[in-house]
Amino acid sequence: MMRTAFFLLFLATSFGIASAAPPQDPLQSPNWQDMAERLLSGHAIEFDERVKISVPSTVENQAQVPVTADARALPNVVKMIVFADLNPIQHALTLTPGQAAPFISFRMKIEQATPIRAAALTSDGVWHVGGIFLNAAGGGCSAPAVGRGEASWSETLGQASGRLWREADGFSRLRFRIRHPMDTGLAKDNTPAYYIERMEFKGNKGEPLALLEMYEPVSQDPTLTLLVRLPAGDTALDVQGRDNNGAIYRSSVPAPWRQSILAPTKQLLEQGPARC
Amino acid sequence: MKSWKVLIAPSVCAMLAGLAAPALADVSIEDIVNDATTTNDVVTSGLGTQGQRYSPLKTINADNVAQLVPAWAMSLGGEKMRGQQAQALVKDGVLYVTGSYSRMWAVDVKTGRELWQYDHRLPEGILPCCDVVNRGAALINDKVIFGTLDAKLVALNQKTGKVVWTKEIDDYKGGYSYTAAPLIVPSKAHGPIVVTGVSGGEFGIVGRVEARKVDDGELVWSRPTIEGHVGTLNGKPSTMTGKQGETWPGDLWKTGGGATWLGGTYDPETNLIFVGAGNPAPWNSHMRPGDNKWSCSRIAIDPETGNIKWGYQTTPNDGWDYDGVNEVVSFDLNGTKAVATADRNGFFYVLGREDGKFISATPFVEQISWAKEIGKDGRPVFDPANRPGDPKKAADGKKGSSIFAVPSFLGGKNQQPMAYSPDTKLFYVPANEWGMDLHNEPVTYKKGAAYLGAGFTIKPIFEDHIGALKAVDPATGKIVWTYKNRAPLWGGVLTTGSNLVFFGTPEGELKALDATDGKQLWSFNTGSGIVAPPITWEQDGEQYVSVLSGWGGAVPLWGGEVAKTVANLNQGGMLWTFKLPKKLAEAK
Repeated sequence: MMRTAFFLLFLATSFGIASAAPPQDPLQSPNWQDMAERLLSGHAIEFDERVKISVPSTVENQAQVPVTADARALPNVVKMIVFADLNPIQHALTLTPGQAAPFISFRMKIEQATPIRAAALTSDGVWHVGGIFLNAAGGGCSAPAVGRGEASWSETLGQASGRLWREADGFSRLRFRIRHPMDTGLAKDNTPAYYIERMEFKGNKGEPLALLEMYEPVSQDPTLTLLVRLPAGDTALDVQGRDNNGAIYRSSVPAPWRQSILAPTKQLLEQGPARC
Repeated sequence: MKSWKVLIAPSVCAMLAGLAAPALADVSIEDIVNDATTTNDVVTSGLGTQGQRYSPLKTINADNVAQLVPAWAMSLGGEKMRGQQAQALVKDGVLYVTGSYSRMWAVDVKTGRELWQYDHRLPEGILPCCDVVNRGAALINDKVIFGTLDAKLVALNQKTGKVVWTKEIDDYKGGYSYTAAPLIVPSKAHGPIVVTGVSGGEFGIVGRVEARKVDDGELVWSRPTIEGHVGTLNGKPSTMTGKQGETWPGDLWKTGGGATWLGGTYDPETNLIFVGAGNPAPWNSHMRPGDNKWSCSRIAIDPETGNIKWGYQTTPNDGWDYDGVNEVVSFDLNGTKAVATADRNGFFYVLGREDGKFISATPFVEQISWAKEIGKDGRPVFDPANRPGDPKKAADGKKGSSIFAVPSFLGGKNQQPMAYSPDTKLFYVPANEWGMDLHNEPVTYKKGAAYLGAGFTIKPIFEDHIGALKAVDPATGKIVWTYKNRAPLWGGVLTTGSNLVFFGTPEGELKALDATDGKQLWSFNTGSGIVAPPITWEQDGEQYVSVLSGWGGAVPLWGGEVAKTVANLNQGGMLWTFKLPKKLAEAK
């Protein structure tokens, strides 16, 4: 890890990438420097109130904390990540919006009180970071998933449900849930890490709309809200998921409105940098 | 500003990848076919596709083997232990090994440090008959492939341990699982194929052999082992195995068993895949008069089509669970292309490699009760008094008369593989001397439930030992020497060009014997029982020996009175690696 960080630093300086020390953390997290190095290195970082994180004021269930990350106030977002500094596994997800808004709602496991942050990378190469301190009692990550231990998880694995709504701004709001234990591998019973690691969202004619990479902190039975630009004439949105055991999940969410009344919606979003 | 940032990102990726691991070259099909002769790697289960488990290495020899030292040991970790039955693989300084509960590791052979670990997420309802074991992986190209207890085949990237593809072999809820090491075989029509079988013989499944493309796991052909079932080739029905109803009564062939749970071997000289098919279902043989082909058999399969070239049945109408999956090892019998197999039923068979023609069968255990001998025609001469009685003929119609049969159903030899030395021209057979009380009961098939129709208890037949490593001369059937062990032998054997025989015992000792006389030269206590085969290879001019230690398998679960001999053995999960340091090797 140290070598990697050093190496990136070396590359950054030798090629002239902005590599100043990350700015002071308004939330004063002891883990901020490490998070910035691991997840945000290679680009300039600034705290930016246009990146909003919403969480409930009181956490009722640490295994299912609703989180909304919204960077729609920023132009040209090519990537957005959500992480929790003080979780045993910090990185929850990465959204590459493509034809979607830089917006996601999901549920997350929280081990203890922690900053929850969203960082949005804009096409000019700057990470814009927003965050909030979530007060919580703890226990979400190292506790087994609720469904674990029940023989039933394998019976319902991959069952999905979803719905699309037409929004006034031309986006379609997708609400999607898929059954999966999303095991962290940290529980005392040796249940290995088992989670959906990749979800691709496409129009039903095959146009890629968004890519979501998820990690262990996303709650059991991931429940997601995204805002996507469904191509005109597409009558459904296809979702393809893959978990870390290689299982493939496919589902399709119908767009129930009449297509003929829609004005053509087309907006070119810039492509992000090549990903590792 | 933006443009060069986009350009630079891939180079960062490439350079980081370069930092991470030793240089790994792909494992080619030539590497696999030539594995028996290359000493710096072990890329197949069996140290060569013929399964001889012979290494030409001579650095470690009878004079210096006592100076072997542990190079490192690596714990398989976690609270999950149980039986560790896998043979490790080594390529370009990386060792790949599988463990209990469908787990796999990649390890740096110089330091013993883990490079990655893959833990397969198992559902709660898996139905493995004989412990939660795995017997190893297969390397091909940039992938490492293994089977899981929920009957899936998983291909991982060798460098990262990430899943490339997963295929379901069958429904684990129906009793299927997969524990054998997959076999990689060349084919003209399909490129390299990965050949697997199925486990679950105790649950009334139907055994089959399947070949898949290594790149994506797509099924190429399927070959059922039980007469009457039709195979597939390129997604279409191909040929029927045997002729429906010929050696099976009624509908019993539909749930006829013949599980192919121990995988297979491949002989490049005849271009044939050899697979053992297990016991017929149910155990109660009175329900299925006839030979019940191809249960308890060895079959030779054409890699291009999946068609059966020849079959040889060791125990027709098996009534003792002489689950004849035992490995088929190709060897040269004084100029004749032959194969040998040491059966659960206690006989050591030598067959023609090209046609399966019967050459000889001789006992490799002290006592055999179920058959008087194997006749000149290759069929056993049964002893009717030693077949368990028909429950229908019992007074209550429920429990047939009990008999004492030798060997026990765990066999004269079970899953633990034997080795063959082309130098001594001897087979080294990890055998067990035991018998069983056995009776039959009526039974009906129910999906996912044990389908036996028998009750049993295993008993030792000697005071001082059950395990017995035998040196068998395939030309004469003569037992040249025997090494006795108190507990049953359950690990495999390795032999080397310097006339050494390596094997482990449930007591935890990894031993080296003189291959010519069976004299013990070295022993090391690994701390838990060994039920896995050792390997050897050469790394940077030093010869290494590696073996998994971790007690478990079928013996503690099914062993009856025998369990007493293993009562004080504890579970474990440790990969032990030994080497002969260069200085000591040069000392002579």
